[in-house]
Amino acid sequence: MREILVEHLARVEGHGNIRVVVDKENVREVKMEILEGPRFIEKILVGRSIDEAPDIVARICSICPDPHSVACVNAIEKAIGFRPSEQTRVLRELQLISDVISSHALHLFLLALPDFLGYPDAISMVSKYGKEVALGLKVKKAGNVIKEVLTGRSVHGCTVKPGGYTRVPTQEELEKLEKSLAEAMDGARLAVDLFASFDLPEVFREENMFMAVDPGEVYGFSGEHILISNGERRPVENYRLLTNERVVPHSTAKHSYYQGESFMVGALARILLNRGKLKGEAVELADRIWEKLDPKNPLANNLAQALELVYSVERAIELIEWLLDHGIGEPRGEMKIKAGVGVAAVEAPRGILYHFYEVDGEGKIARADIVTPTAQNAANIEKYLRISAQRLLERGVDNLEPHLEMLVRAYDPCISCSAHLVRVVRLNE
Amino acid sequence: MKPKVGFYELTGCAGEMLHILNMEDILIDVFSKIDLVEFRIASSVKRPERVDIAFVEGSVTTEENLEALKSIREKSDVLVAIGDCAVWGGIQASTTGEDWKTLMKEVYGVEENYFRFLGEHKSLSECVKVDYELPGCPIEQDEFVRLFIELLEGIEPKIKDYPVCVECKIKEIPCLIVEKREPCLGPISVGGCKARCPYYGTPCIGCRGPVREEANVAGEVSTLVEKGWRKEDIVKRMELFAKRYKDIEKLVEVKK
Ligand code: SF4
Ligand code: SF4
Repeated sequence: MREILVEHLARVEGHGNIRVVVDKENVREVKMEILEGPRFIEKILVGRSIDEAPDIVARICSICPDPHSVACVNAIEKAIGFRPSEQTRVLRELQLISDVISSHALHLFLLALPDFLGYPDAISMVSKYGKEVALGLKVKKAGNVIKEVLTGRSVHGCTVKPGGYTRVPTQEELEKLEKSLAEAMDGARLAVDLFASFDLPEVFREENMFMAVDPGEVYGFSGEHILISNGERRPVENYRLLTNERVVPHSTAKHSYYQGESFMVGALARILLNRGKLKGEAVELADRIWEKLDPKNPLANNLAQALELVYSVERAIELIEWLLDHGIGEPRGEMKIKAGVGVAAVEAPRGILYHFYEVDGEGKIARADIVTPTAQNAANIEKYLRISAQRLLERGVDNLEPHLEMLVRAYDPCISCSAHLVRVVRLNE
Repeated sequence: MKPKVGFYELTGCAGEMLHILNMEDILIDVFSKIDLVEFRIASSVKRPERVDIAFVEGSVTTEENLEALKSIREKSDVLVAIGDCAVWGGIQASTTGEDWKTLMKEVYGVEENYFRFLGEHKSLSECVKVDYELPGCPIEQDEFVRLFIELLEGIEPKIKDYPVCVECKIKEIPCLIVEKREPCLGPISVGGCKARCPYYGTPCIGCRGPVREEANVAGEVSTLVEKGWRKEDIVKRMELFAKRYKDIEKLVEVKK
């Protein structure tokens, strides 16, 4: 028996290790191991004021601080029975989109592209693919500039509070954002062309289940219901049932199952479940590349991200125009504190993110529960690792690591946000 | 020859690494000046050799972290702690003193120590010799670039140690404590962020950690208590980023 250990999985956010135990012909076990230190964020929140909560949860993950803070304030507002203004809701959607733009651009151009082109990183690609890297950085920056304007910083902003924002952008700032977004469009289109040109390895194909937030009429990143690829639609309050978290014996990352099956969340799930809600250029692009968005192959997630990138850049411009047309009003509404519980779901770049809070009568957090997308994807990643490792063995492939790493990376796992995940280990006889 | 540089993460959110990658305009330039030995979230390159400069983010939380940190220390000429987790243990260190087994049970539902958790979240300097500390959660990009250039050029870096309030005054922002009775931690937090939070209309939460020489914690507490805040709430706010500041309790005890 041998144990394959792909330690130190590079280019995923967080420390990844996949452990695969195989004998001559068969995969015995597959584990995504947790090595990262526990940070107990849900406990740090307890006893703190609801104003501190969004700043704390942002620190769970540097790549998706915005979905965390937005999910947090949405859930807290539900708990205390406050309804935010339309302006606040538009700003929050814009903030979620900014994270999608910068995160997808980072993943596609800096982390995944080197895989497909055979480089260790984007920096070494510059001499041959200078244009691609430069365009990619431009898109990434367009997302980050929105974050800076809305929240004060591209990582861990400070303006997101229950009730609204502590500062809202000026007209000049919004106009500047519009311009940088317009300039990012070429890079977003390029991402679609590039990722549509790669063929996806057959070994990863298998039936899959998907879940995504139902954004309502227009494709977006928050909503009150969850769509499931089996045709079900459930309120976000059912999140416990939907994620049915289990602590698996080999790791402290919780793994999620629904009706006993693993499922996938993220860009591919969103595009497959909400295609009809896309608008603008993304509609034609989706038609053109639809065949390539293979629901059975998790690697198609990259292309789905590229498509979302085009949509998001366009949609961000539209939201900014809405703000400019309506004029910028009061940043934050008056809230009355009352005890209660609330659940919210948003789409982080890597999939559904649930936040639950119980707020007490003094406006302090009494209880918090956070289910991250990577925790939801973990069981699905293991399923595909198992299937593809077995097939690779059967085909006599000895060097499993690069294949398995590529698979894991396609999920764009943000490991620090679910404690920690992947390790491929090889047991030698 | 280009200097060898490694970027390493312990326990945290990878915020420093990402904030470095977020300097899109100068990223390629910065990296062309060095021989990159490791930068896990951005590159598959991982060479175990000696480095001239090691940038380390994250707290020392697990036995793996401690082992990794020791080996980084051994192989690097200059070791720089970047970000609040590395400098003060990060927000996770606000659990210092709580029974971690109970926390483990409540958050992860398990009692075994799968993580090989050390039981507390330490700063790098509590474990090894650290040459420079760059605060922030995350670090400021301009401060990082400056430090980076200084180290490459052999100039002795100067790390700031004055409160956020100084920068707030320079920007002529009305004081949130005086004007709005808000629990701003600017007086005891180290500047360098150009008073970002007050500028954006919200009290400083102390993400850059406490001022070391001049932190007037007692003064801050009594001002806020005069303004009607409960002392224990103020202390709890301070402890989010500064629980491992040795003097915090002592200073807070010196009541007005
Ligand atoms: S200091 Fe802040 S930004 Fe840096 S790793 Fe820790 S939590 Fe993340
Ligand atoms: S004002 Fe305070 S909380 Fe805000 S960035 Fe500066 S040090 Fe951090």
